[in-house]
This record gives sequence, structure tokens and C-alpha cells, in this order.
Amino acid sequence: MLKRILISLLLVIGVAAQSAGAQNKKPKPSPAPASHSGPAAASSNETIALKGGKLLTITHGVIENGVIVMQNGRITAVGGAGTNVPSGARVIDVTGMTVYPGLIDSETRLGLTEISADRMTNDQIELSDEIMPHMHVSDAFHAETALIPVDRVNGITNAIVAPAGQDTLPGQDSFIQLAGASATEMLMVRDIAMPLNFTGQQRRNQNFEQAKFPFTRMGMATQLRQAFIDAQDYDQKLAAYDKKKNSSDEKEKDKAGAPPKRDLKLEALLPYLHGKKPVVLAAEEPNDVLTALDLANEFHLKVILSRVTHSASLLDKIAATKLPVIVGSIYEQPKESERYDAVYRMPAELAKRGVKIAFASFGDHMARGLPYAAGYAEAFGLPADEALKALTINPAQMWGVDKDLGSLEVGKMGNVVVANGDPLDVKTDVKHVFIQGQEIPLVNKQTQLRDQYWK
Amino acid sequence: MARRSHLYRVMLLSLCWVLSSFAIAQQPSNTQQPPSSQNPSASQNPTSPEKSTPGTESKSSAVTENATPNQKPDASAPTFHNDVVIKGGTILTVTHGKIENGSIYIHNGKIAAVGQSVNAPAGATVIDAAGKFVMPGIIDAHSHIALDDDVNEPTSPVTPHMMMKDAFDYNDKAIYRALAGGVTSSLLLHGSANMIGGQAIVIKHKYGLGRDEMLFPGAPRSIKFASGENPKRVYGTRNQLPSTRMGNFEVMRAAFIEAREYMRTWDDYEAKLKKGDKDATPPKKDLKLEALADVLRGKLLVQIHCYRADEFLTEMEIAKEFGYKIRAFHHALEAYKVADKIAANGVAIATWPDWWGFKYEAWDGIPWNAAISAHNGVRVALKSDSEDVTRRLNQDAGKIMRYGLTEEEALKSITLNPAWIMGIEERVGSIDVGKDADITIWNSYPLSSTALADKVLIDGDVYFDRSQPGLGLTHYKEVQ
Repeated sequence: MLKRILISLLLVIGVAAQSAGAQNKKPKPSPAPASHSGPAAASSNETIALKGGKLLTITHGVIENGVIVMQNGRITAVGGAGTNVPSGARVIDVTGMTVYPGLIDSETRLGLTEISADRMTNDQIELSDEIMPHMHVSDAFHAETALIPVDRVNGITNAIVAPAGQDTLPGQDSFIQLAGASATEMLMVRDIAMPLNFTGQQRRNQNFEQAKFPFTRMGMATQLRQAFIDAQDYDQKLAAYDKKKNSSDEKEKDKAGAPPKRDLKLEALLPYLHGKKPVVLAAEEPNDVLTALDLANEFHLKVILSRVTHSASLLDKIAATKLPVIVGSIYEQPKESERYDAVYRMPAELAKRGVKIAFASFGDHMARGLPYAAGYAEAFGLPADEALKALTINPAQMWGVDKDLGSLEVGKMGNVVVANGDPLDVKTDVKHVFIQGQEIPLVNKQTQLRDQYWK
Repeated sequence: MARRSHLYRVMLLSLCWVLSSFAIAQQPSNTQQPPSSQNPSASQNPTSPEKSTPGTESKSSAVTENATPNQKPDASAPTFHNDVVIKGGTILTVTHGKIENGSIYIHNGKIAAVGQSVNAPAGATVIDAAGKFVMPGIIDAHSHIALDDDVNEPTSPVTPHMMMKDAFDYNDKAIYRALAGGVTSSLLLHGSANMIGGQAIVIKHKYGLGRDEMLFPGAPRSIKFASGENPKRVYGTRNQLPSTRMGNFEVMRAAFIEAREYMRTWDDYEAKLKKGDKDATPPKKDLKLEALADVLRGKLLVQIHCYRADEFLTEMEIAKEFGYKIRAFHHALEAYKVADKIAANGVAIATWPDWWGFKYEAWDGIPWNAAISAHNGVRVALKSDSEDVTRRLNQDAGKIMRYGLTEEEALKSITLNPAWIMGIEERVGSIDVGKDADITIWNSYPLSSTALADKVLIDGDVYFDRSQPGLGLTHYKEVQ
């Protein structure tokens, strides 16, 4: 611990001097004046080599004075100072800098909102019913949002876009790349997972006089159960129809009749009933976590747990499930009777028990604060390397994209960040961001205003 | 006490926010969890404060002036008669640099000596700070904690006679959680529903003590004004005045004209008395107009919720027209656009490092706001306006170093500058001899993601100690 403090002190002092010195005067001139709102195009075939940095590979340790090469969108070499750099490569000297994989935010509203207070710019949640699994955020995702270029200058290169949480089944998440020629390229995996929210916030029970089902947790759970049973029934009807339709027996084939009427809502639940995709089970209180897990078990859902904010009493039980957990937000207030750090300590407590954790901002405009949450969890006992894993390889594995993302390894996508210090510290300044091996100009709406007014 | 759970509160808030767009809160929610519909958790309704002091250059006259009836007027009477030495830490004094391996001697709750070594009586309690960082307690110049849901009185756009002290819920654990984040003083303000809100209180986070012991003795009075989207939405949606920025400012002007009239009736009356007119009858005392008159008399520090560049200018014009001073613009996300003009008027700003986008008037917020404003001579403070963020303002100060402020400026932004905004800069905000011993000891460099407050002292006494079990509180007993 002491050693860690000393190291962080050194880092801090160094970084402080550096960033204050460097940025004090005037912002550096921005590189290519890429459109601030438009997705950055990643089409050139430039080969890029980063030399001299401290590589946090995540999966195979730290390489001091390392070299990383990116070509055709992929990482083609990672190693020490002697690593061969292909001729013709653009070499960027990153001596003294830290190099790490692009960070992954495991829940955001990016592309679903522009100005929070203006309803017309918000497509976060369909509130007309609690059971809306047929809503696809990919249908609303606004690739040209001003928020993404602001977010990615903090080293975040990938994110889950999820609908907001006021429905029990609000729709289907997408996994995005924070740059790309258009929505098509940025939506890396559509319908990657489905949230199932059971936090109590899904009850529309503000007005007793106008009470409408489901008014309570009992109502919500029953409604969910019925939805999955309806989907099972639908699934069976489809299967029965298919069986007849595909029968070699002509008589059977004739009996097939018309196919069951297509039901988008029930259809959307099928991949989850079949265990083909994960359900993101969000609950905060211990009783809610247990109820939600019961539901998931009843229907054999594949689960990623989310939040578990106030469930310290269930830590061992959660660990025993072997399920991965998206923690947080650690900025939720503890219970009135709890110590101030009851929620802050959750990531460390989970990791200590061997739970695979990932961080999420659950945010939009402020999603860029993602690394700081991990840094603060570190202050409350989460080992630094675990904190970084929870922003890189862990979520990559949880979302099934670890072949492409989550570490500095040959063959993976060139999503790489260069910063002047600890990736999780508030003072650290991101100097370069690469997505699919292409340098993303660190330009956005905010840097443009800065350049306009900072005389 | 049967207080609603935070979750429930969040739900209520979220419902309001979602249904009526972004309610009265100024701010988005948590830093990490922005306001949006999903998780409006941290949204608070800002409103107005309630302190008083001359809206001027500062101090002394203000301090004597202020003593609201409920506050202990005698600032020199220490709560604790003790001798304490904090020994061996890196002291971030704020006003005169850094002292490595320094010591602080505290006598009767005040800082009595600071230096490489200090002379202290043999019997003094020694707090070993070796390897740690010692800095003044953090001061939050914009907070709405400990007011339950009584932040806004949204029934009239002019409510200067609302006193936040009347709603002060001194048992609110939010006071404790901020203390555990190194905060020693906060300005509890009225919300931003009204153009002219109520009067604030300044508290010391002595969690576990009684209500009156938590009030900052002798702190000046402040009043909260607002502008822009919140008042126009609150009243506009009811089809009342104001529903536009024109209406907003006209409501203000009309209020001050009325207050002038009221002052004149009193002046006339007093003039008659002076002339020996025995039949002179005093005008009726009007709480609202009295409070407005106090603004015009310079007895209140004026704290204005304001986002947009044009509105800073209008606010300063109106202040000039009616002869009062503005102490600070709060939120002030577009201060960087007219920073020279704000500086020329001697107005400070209390802002966030990086919030933006949660409403139109926050659309042009940039993280360089603090730096650009400071470089133009504006006194810059970082504040929370949030039950969440107030717990880690040290990190916010670290953030603005990335965006161009020096360590000293960053430190000032959460200590001396907010103290100035609240009119208590002679008393707290730096490690200087004679000041209240409101001090936080950090386990590592405080302007970072990973620092934790180990001990928090107020008036020389430890109120929070992380090494203690349970809540880590030293003056609090859980009621069974």
C-alpha cells in the first residue's frame, strides 16, 4: 500500500507539473479540423507506430519503453524497444506517456440524447408499457451526436448504448465504436443484450388514485413472468408450425396451416429464452437482486448482473453465482445508516471475491468521467490493475468482443489511447486516441469553443 | 427519523424531471450519472441561499453586520479549548505554498502557528501526519443538502424573505458524507425556481452537534437570485409571469423599484421623527420588501444562478442600476465568453469543472471555463450543487489542473475562493495563523482520483476519522 502511495505521489507530482505546464498557456493547436460532430472516418491505411511509451497491455503486463504498431485497423506488433517498425510507418514518439487499450463503458445513453431537458432530442426510453423488449436502441442511435467526440477525447473508444431504466424490459442494447463513417460502422453489435430492470424505479405508483397494473414489485415480477411464459408459448407455436411445415409427411405439411401471427414483442425475447444472448439484470437492493435472479433462473436466462449497489449483504452469494457484474454507479448514496464508503467499496469487495467486474458511467454528457469512477474505487481498495481491467478486458469478455478489444495484443483492433499519466487520474490528459488504427483528432464542440474564446 | 430513502427521493425526482423535462435543478445529476431520464439521481433543486453581508469587497463590516439572530455572534469564542499539533505532513497552505514535513499548532480552535517546526505546549495532542497531505477544509459555495425537499418556494418569483435556516435539517446524513469527503463548510442556498429566492445559511459540518452549533458563527448573509430557464419554466408552465427572459428581468426590476419605494416611506418616517414629529406613524413592516431593501442597502451577498453570457451582462446592468453588488455567478458555464467583463465588475464565479449539455443554457459548457475565466482575472470557485459531488470536490479541483489551472489556483477554487464568495475568507480557506483550524488530512495528494480524507478537523477538533469503525464520526451517537 505504502509503495502504491509513493508511486502515485510521484506520478501525481510529475503529471501535475506536466499537464499544468503544458496546458497552462494555450491549448495546443488542434490537428486536422475534423468535423466535430460527425463520426471520424477511419478509412486510410496508414501504418502507425507508437514508440517509447509505457504499455499497459492488460493481458501480459507492463512494457516500459515499448513499441506498438497498428496497420489496416489492427495491432500488428506489441513489444519492447527493439520491436521492428515497418518502413513507411508514421512513428509517433510517446516517450514518458502511458499507452493503454481504449476504454469500454458498459452502459451509456450515447446517441440517444442531445440536450437532456429537450424532449425532442431524447430517445432514451419508451414509457408506454413496462414490457418493451422490441425497442432497439440501434433504431434511435444518432451517430452525429456532439456527445461522442466529447466522450472519446477521454480515451473511451467503445460503449454499450442502453435504453434508460424505467421499464422492466426497455429494449435491446447495442455495442458501439466511438468513431466511424456512419451509424452503420459505429454500431458494432446490434441487439447485443437486453436489460431487465428490477430496481423499484419501474413502478408507476406515484398516484394511488390512478393506480394501474403493475403497481408493486409483485405486479412487476408477475408481469415479467407472464411475458416470458407468453414468449415460451409463442416459441412452441412457432416450433410446432415449423415442424409440420418441414415435415416430409405431406399430410403433416398440409396441417401446418398459416404460420403463427408474428409478434415483435415476443419474438424479441426468444434469443434470451434460448440463452443465446445475455440479459443485463439490474437491481440494487438485496431483495430485488434475489427476486430478479429467481426470475432469471426460472427461465434459464444468461445473466450479467448490474448495479447491486446496496447488496453488500449478498457479496458471497453473488460471487457464488460466478456471474459477471457491472458495478455502480459507485456515486449512489449509501443508506442513511451506512458508512460513507459503503457503496464506494463495492467494486473492491466484489473483485476480492473473484467476481469479474466492469464499470459503467450510466451516462451521457458526463460519461467521460468513466475512468475516474474506477480510480475512486481504487482508493477504496480495488487493486489498480483490476480497476483498469474492469474498463478493458473484463467488459470485452462480458460482451463477447474480446477477440477485437480489451487489451494491447497482436490481432486486436487498433483501439489505443496515449495519455500523460495514470489513465484513472483526474489530472491525466489524453494526448492521442486511435480507433481501428486511425488517429482520431481530439477536436469537438468544446475544443472549438475553447479555441474561439481563449485569446 | 423516518426519512425517505434516497432511492425513493431519486424516483420522485426522476419522475418530475422526466415528465416535466428538466426540472428546477440547475444541474445535471451526478457527475458520473448524468441527469438524463434514466438516472436523475443526484439532481437537486437549487434555489436560494440565505446569508447576509455587504455585497461588497468583503469582510469585516459584513461580518459584524450579519449575525442573524440564530447565529452565535461571537466568532472569537472557541468551541474547544485545546492544544493540538498536526505534525509531519506536506502542508498545502493555499496562500503561501507548500511546506514539506511541516507542522501546525492549533490553540483554542485557531491556527496558532504554521511552519517547518512550531512551538507548542508539551501537553498538546499530537496528530501524526507523516506521509500525508494537510490542507484547509474544502468549502462548498453551492449546496442544497440538509434542506429535505424544502429547497424552493416556487409560489412566487420573488421570495427574498424565505430563510433556509427555517428548513435546516441538521441531522441530514449528507452533512456527514460531505464531511467524510473533506468538506468543512457549505453555503446552503435556496433553489433556482425564483428570480429572487431566499436567504442562505453557512454551516460548518460538525456532524453530531446541535443545529445552532453547526451554523458558521458570524458568517455574512447571502441571498440567492436566479435567471434563465428555471424561473421561466416554473412560472411559464403555469402561464404566469415570467415565462421569458424578458419577463424574468422585468420581475426583478419591478421588485427593486417597489423596495425603493418602501425604503422611501421609512426614510420619510425617520425624517419626521428626527424633526420631532410626535404624530408620525411608522410604515408597516413588510418582510419581503425589508429583505429586498437589505439587498439595496448592501447587507446581503448576492449569489446569482446564471448560465448564459448575455445574462451575466444584464444582471450586472441591473445591479448597477439599483446600486447593489453581485458577489458571484453560480454555474456560470458561459463565463469564459465574457470573462473580462465579469472580472471588471469584481464578480466571482462558482462553477463545475465539466458539466454541460443537460439543458440549452448548459449547451456551451466547456471544461476550460475555469481556466479561461481565471486567466482573465475572475475569482473562480468549484462547487457541487449536488449531494453526490460535494463528497469529492478535491477530484474536481484536480480536473481543472488538466484544463489549465495551476495547483495553487486549483486549491483556491475549493478553499479560499468559495470562502470569499461566502464572505468568510478572513476566517477559513487557508492554513494561516489566526484562522479557524478547519483542516483536512489526506492519505495522499488530494487533487487526484485516489485520495481519501483521513481526518477532518473543525475548529481544531476532529469530527471525522476514517480509522474509526462505524461511521468514523467522533461527535455523533446513533439514536437507538
